[in-house]
Amino acid sequence: MTTVADLLESLGDTLQLEVMTEDLSLDREITVPEITSPGLVLAGFVERFVSKRLHALGETEMAYLENLSARERTKSLDTFLSYDLPCVFVTKDQPIPEELFSVARKRKVPVLRSSLSTSQFYRLITPYLREAFSPATKVHGSLADVYGVGLLFVGRSGIGKSECVLDLVERGHRLVADDLVNVTRRGSGVLIGKSEEVTSRFMEIRGVGLVDVSALFGVRAFRQQKRIEVVVELADWDDARDVDRTGLNTKTRDILGVEVPEVVIPLIPGKNITVVSEVVALNHLLKYSGVDSAQNLNDRLVRQMAEKRDLKKYLSEDYE
Amino acid sequence: MIEGKTTISNQMGLHARPAAQLVKLAATFSSKIFLDNGSGDVNGKSIMGVLTLAAECGSDISVKADGTDAEKAVQAIIDLIDSGFGEVAGEA
Repeated sequence: MTTVADLLESLGDTLQLEVMTEDLSLDREITVPEITSPGLVLAGFVERFVSKRLHALGETEMAYLENLSARERTKSLDTFLSYDLPCVFVTKDQPIPEELFSVARKRKVPVLRSSLSTSQFYRLITPYLREAFSPATKVHGSLADVYGVGLLFVGRSGIGKSECVLDLVERGHRLVADDLVNVTRRGSGVLIGKSEEVTSRFMEIRGVGLVDVSALFGVRAFRQQKRIEVVVELADWDDARDVDRTGLNTKTRDILGVEVPEVVIPLIPGKNITVVSEVVALNHLLKYSGVDSAQNLNDRLVRQMAEKRDLKKYLSEDYE
Repeated sequence: MIEGKTTISNQMGLHARPAAQLVKLAATFSSKIFLDNGSGDVNGKSIMGVLTLAAECGSDISVKADGTDAEKAVQAIIDLIDSGFGEVAGEA
C-alpha cells in the first residue's frame, strides 16, 4: 500500500513539495498510479470524474477558482473534495485560497504545494507512481550482471549459486543481489531485479560467512539494479533429466507474466560454471544481435546433407 | 560389441534436432555407443560427434554398443532412427 506520506518521503525533494495542511494526516492511500487535473469538475461537471486518481490544481484551475465569488469557490471546492481524494496538489507555488484550506480541513484531504510547473510535476511523479504500482515478487536466487546481461541464478539451496556469482565477480562481473532478488515488472515485458536493502552488497559464502563484496572488490563489483534477461538454473547432474543439447529449443520461465529465456546447467564436480555462465551471457548477446549459433550450425549441416544427397542422386543416374 | 545397421529415413537427415534426440536416448544407457556411416566411429553420446556424421536421408548407418545394456541400446537407437524422429516431411 502506498500512502501520501510514502510519496512525500520518496519524492518530497524531487517534486519540491511543501505540506500546506500540517494538521491533516498524510496516511491516506493512493490506489491508482495516475495523476490528472480536475478541470471541469470545478465547474460542477462531475460525470466523467475519476476521483481515485491524484489531482493537481494547475494554473488553469487556480485562475478559474479566482474568478469565482467566495461562496461559489467554496461550493466548487466542496464538490471536488467530496470525493474522498487521497490529496490535492497545487503546482507552481500558487497562492492557496482560504476556501481551499477550509474545505480541505472539513473533508480531511491534505493539500500539498509544489514549486514545479504542472507539466514538470506530471513528468516527475509518473515514474514513481508506475514503480510503486508495478507488479513485484521475490525470487530465491542470485542476480549478476555478466557482460551487461542480467543472469538470474536459481536452483536448490546449497547448489552453489552464490559461489558461482562470487567467481563471476572475481572475474570482473558484478553482483546485483545474493540469495533473494526483488523483482518488479516495468511495462509488459521488462523485469528489474534489485537486492533487499539490508543485505545489499553482501553475500553469504558457505564456510566463510557473510562477505562485503564491494569492500572486497571495489565499487565496480556491485550494481544497484539490473534487468533480468536469462534465468540460469543450476541443477544436480541427472542422466534422466531432459537437458537441451543443441540450444535450438529455447525454454522460458514465467516471472510476473514475462517469459524469460531459461538455461539449465547440470553440475558435476570440477565443472567450471563461471565460464559456462559467461558463454550463456555472450550467447544471449549474440542471439539479440542476430546470430543464432545453434541455428547457424544446423543450417550448415542441412545444406551439406542436401548437397550430398543431390550428388549421390546425380551419380546414381550416371550409367556411363 | 553389438552392432546393428539401418538407413536414415527422415527427409532432412540427421540434423541438430534428431541428433539431440539420439544423444539424449544414448545417454540413458550405460554402454558405450558408437555410430558410423563409413568414415569411422563417432561417440553416440556426443552431439558434436553425431553432427559430424552429416548423415543425410538414405545413407546407411551402423550402430554399435559395448556394455551390459548394449543389445537394448542398439535396438532402441535403430528404432528411433527408423521412426524418422517424428519429423514431418519438409520441416527442418
